[in-house]
Amino acid sequence: MSIKLFMKSLWVFHLNSGSCNGCDIEVLNVFTPYHDVERLGIKLVASPRHADVIVFTGPITRETLPKAIKAFTAIPEPKAVVAVGSCACGGGIWYDSYAVIGGIEAFYKILREEYKVKIPPTVYVPGCPPKPEAIIYGIAVLRGILRQKQRRTYFTEKEVPELTKDLIINIEKYMESKSRKEIYNGE
Amino acid sequence: MHISTTKILDSLSKYGKIEKVHENTYFVEVSADKVREVSEILHWKLGGHFSVTVGSDERPINGYFKVYHVFLMDKQKLSIIVHVKVNPVVPKLPSITPIIPGANWHEREVHDFFGIFFEDHPNLERLILPYDWPKGVYPLRKDVSIRGLRSKLLKNNAESEGKRKAEEEGYIVPIGPYHPALHEPEYFELYVDGEKIVDAKYKGFHVHRGIEKVAEEKLTINQIPFIAERICGICGYTHNVAYCQAVENAAGIEVPLRAKYIRSILLEIERIHSHLLWFGVLFHLLGFDTGFMMTWLIREKIMDLAEVLTGNRKNYGLNLVGGVRRDINSEKIEFSLKTLNYVETKLRSVLDKMLKLKEVISRTKNIGLLNRNEAKKLSVVGPVARASGIDTDVRKHHPYAAYSEVEFKVPVYDEGDVYSRALVRYDEVFESINILKQLLKNIPKGNIMADEVKIPEYRKGLGLTEAPRGENVHLVITGRDNKIYRWRPRAPSYNNIPSTLIMLKGENLADAPAIIASIDPCFSCTDHLVIIDIKRNIKRRIRLKELARRRQC
Amino acid sequence: MSARLHILKEALRTGVVTKKYPYEPVKVPEGFRGKPSIDVEKCIGCGACVNVCPPNALSAEIDLNKSVKRIILFLGKCIFCGRCQDACPTEAIKLTREFELSTLTTNDLYQVVELKMAKCEICGKPYATIRQVLFTAKSVPKDQRPLLLLCSECRSKVSAKYISYARW
Repeated sequence: MSIKLFMKSLWVFHLNSGSCNGCDIEVLNVFTPYHDVERLGIKLVASPRHADVIVFTGPITRETLPKAIKAFTAIPEPKAVVAVGSCACGGGIWYDSYAVIGGIEAFYKILREEYKVKIPPTVYVPGCPPKPEAIIYGIAVLRGILRQKQRRTYFTEKEVPELTKDLIINIEKYMESKSRKEIYNGE
Repeated sequence: MHISTTKILDSLSKYGKIEKVHENTYFVEVSADKVREVSEILHWKLGGHFSVTVGSDERPINGYFKVYHVFLMDKQKLSIIVHVKVNPVVPKLPSITPIIPGANWHEREVHDFFGIFFEDHPNLERLILPYDWPKGVYPLRKDVSIRGLRSKLLKNNAESEGKRKAEEEGYIVPIGPYHPALHEPEYFELYVDGEKIVDAKYKGFHVHRGIEKVAEEKLTINQIPFIAERICGICGYTHNVAYCQAVENAAGIEVPLRAKYIRSILLEIERIHSHLLWFGVLFHLLGFDTGFMMTWLIREKIMDLAEVLTGNRKNYGLNLVGGVRRDINSEKIEFSLKTLNYVETKLRSVLDKMLKLKEVISRTKNIGLLNRNEAKKLSVVGPVARASGIDTDVRKHHPYAAYSEVEFKVPVYDEGDVYSRALVRYDEVFESINILKQLLKNIPKGNIMADEVKIPEYRKGLGLTEAPRGENVHLVITGRDNKIYRWRPRAPSYNNIPSTLIMLKGENLADAPAIIASIDPCFSCTDHLVIIDIKRNIKRRIRLKELARRRQC
Repeated sequence: MSARLHILKEALRTGVVTKKYPYEPVKVPEGFRGKPSIDVEKCIGCGACVNVCPPNALSAEIDLNKSVKRIILFLGKCIFCGRCQDACPTEAIKLTREFELSTLTTNDLYQVVELKMAKCEICGKPYATIRQVLFTAKSVPKDQRPLLLLCSECRSKVSAKYISYARW
């Protein structure tokens, strides 16, 4: 991944695209003495032209959409994106309101189709709002220091009991005779 | 001179029928030509103040649009709501803005969402909806649905229109050493002549997410507290409590006393951490970063306390209509008292000295003046009003939750500058710690949820709370099928922001960040200023933090 | 002058308070609302959690070809409120204490539970999961239990016959 070019420090630009400010204050909390992310070499800059990484918070509202596109395309390559909070990851509780585009995935769809822009590596930090430690963990996953713990799981039932009249009338006897694991044959 | 309740109700009864909705709340129906007279009497002569205007589409119920004006009378502990029927075919109404300038934005919002035209309004322009919204589509009317709006408007290439408009108006103006690209759209436009500010304009509302439509169409009555908490990132719990109180008042549900104590405890914890956040922001904008780091260090202990009590640092998720969901035990009470002692000793030793520094005093005294008459005209609320000599506090004058069981003082100062607003908030932090100690020691035993929660349809209710920024008003009309018919949350910054335009005239450019931060708008660190030099005709864009850094004198 | 010295003294007395995360783990208090997780042995696929979730992070799908029902949990939209935990009848979905949930794709933020459905004896349409039928059979009186094997339309037709006979 091209983000590995940055060995030590990342310069971060923070963009609020319609958030309630809960996630913004947690992003600022990461720079206060208890968590102090500057010891990891991360600095907050004021212009996207100086930045490597852009931090999005908030579901992208219609009013801020052109501004977000301009700020996003102003960051020079190679770049990365951190989506902080449940509003940025999937739209949150506002995902289908009339004034909201709906999170980073919908934003990428617009960028791919209308502007033909390549999608950079992205890290998603769910939470409402995520703890400052969770945001530090997200940046560590982006840099490759730590491995991600959360994976997709899919469960299917193997064998099921056959439903007959006899079984269902004497359900208590059936429940006592078999263990719970055998009835709900799972893995 | 104290005017009694019966005298107020007698003088109003000749304008229309009076209906008592719940304790201390009266609805008065007047005709359209008498609205201005009644508003003038209530705001200027009988000692009350204007709070909010709410529009509502009641054509399915009784065939009319309705407009509600809410007035609060502090000395008599009353709320009076004046409502008017509006013709559905040609919706028109006389405006009350010429008499009460504070109603300017409220009437513009009703015009945006419902299409009601207010006669004699000074500038009835678009306030909240995005710039590319088509004319003639009013989102909050009942014959418009969310799905219809979303499919029709998003297909209309809002994105490419936005691109075209951004290139036309020249959003990126790279001049000199200032930063070229955008962080957020413009908030304040300052017209300067050299270093002095001559005029100011405000454009905002880019955070409009359509909460009222989502709550009315999609969510059930018990799911709305969760969306109400996410209105604001600092004072979300007050919105939660105000909504629950409005529904409980409308349906006549009695909340048990232990639940009221738990709600008050969390409300005061929120007030302390919000004021400490404000001190940090003010010190940062004055260039005093040590103060910023020290106050946010003390604030972390309060966030840890909230996490122990409720499970999350913000968005406590604790309220349902009728009570609270989780209880607190004696271990948690001991932990809270220990934390509060630590916070109090630390604050008394360090915050006091920071406010006595020569540099801080010289940059905040006699700056950003707002005298008492202007404050009353614009109906400002909260610490901004208390620093200009108006004694108003919802916890004393319209008691709710467990505030009638504790004793506390309300600080009022007369000068009306940035320094007195800081002193008001400083006093309020210690009063909150005092209230918390009383609540934690005297909490009674009992249930935390009401026994029966039944909500009849089409009832009206009003919920009032005191947020850290001022008074919070929610008006609710219940509907059928476990849904709400109309909900209007009004945050206190809505009434306070127009007052900055008066405070900024005649001041130096270097003082602008501190003045804008002193009313505590919901997040001033990422605000944007546009400075227009009228003599040389140059327009420059600069972030508030950069201005503070470059102009530290 | 003394104000400045006092602030300096206080700053030195506070010392260093930085937590050493991510090089050391951090503890969360009891009752912390972290990631929700479905226990696959207890879930019966009733869908009560789907009804109460405010942002619709939990959703249910019925696949008529394979006659299975899927409960899908998307952590990206979850607001960690805990209403699903209060609504579940078998205590299958609970909020754990994990908060380190970052991933590099949204595909990793899903948890899917697929359960087989029972088919109606008369018309053959799948109407509920097998686990849900077994769970509700315990609280229904014995002589009415055979009615549980029918879908709701056939059930109302069959029981209408009983009601009309009962008048005599």
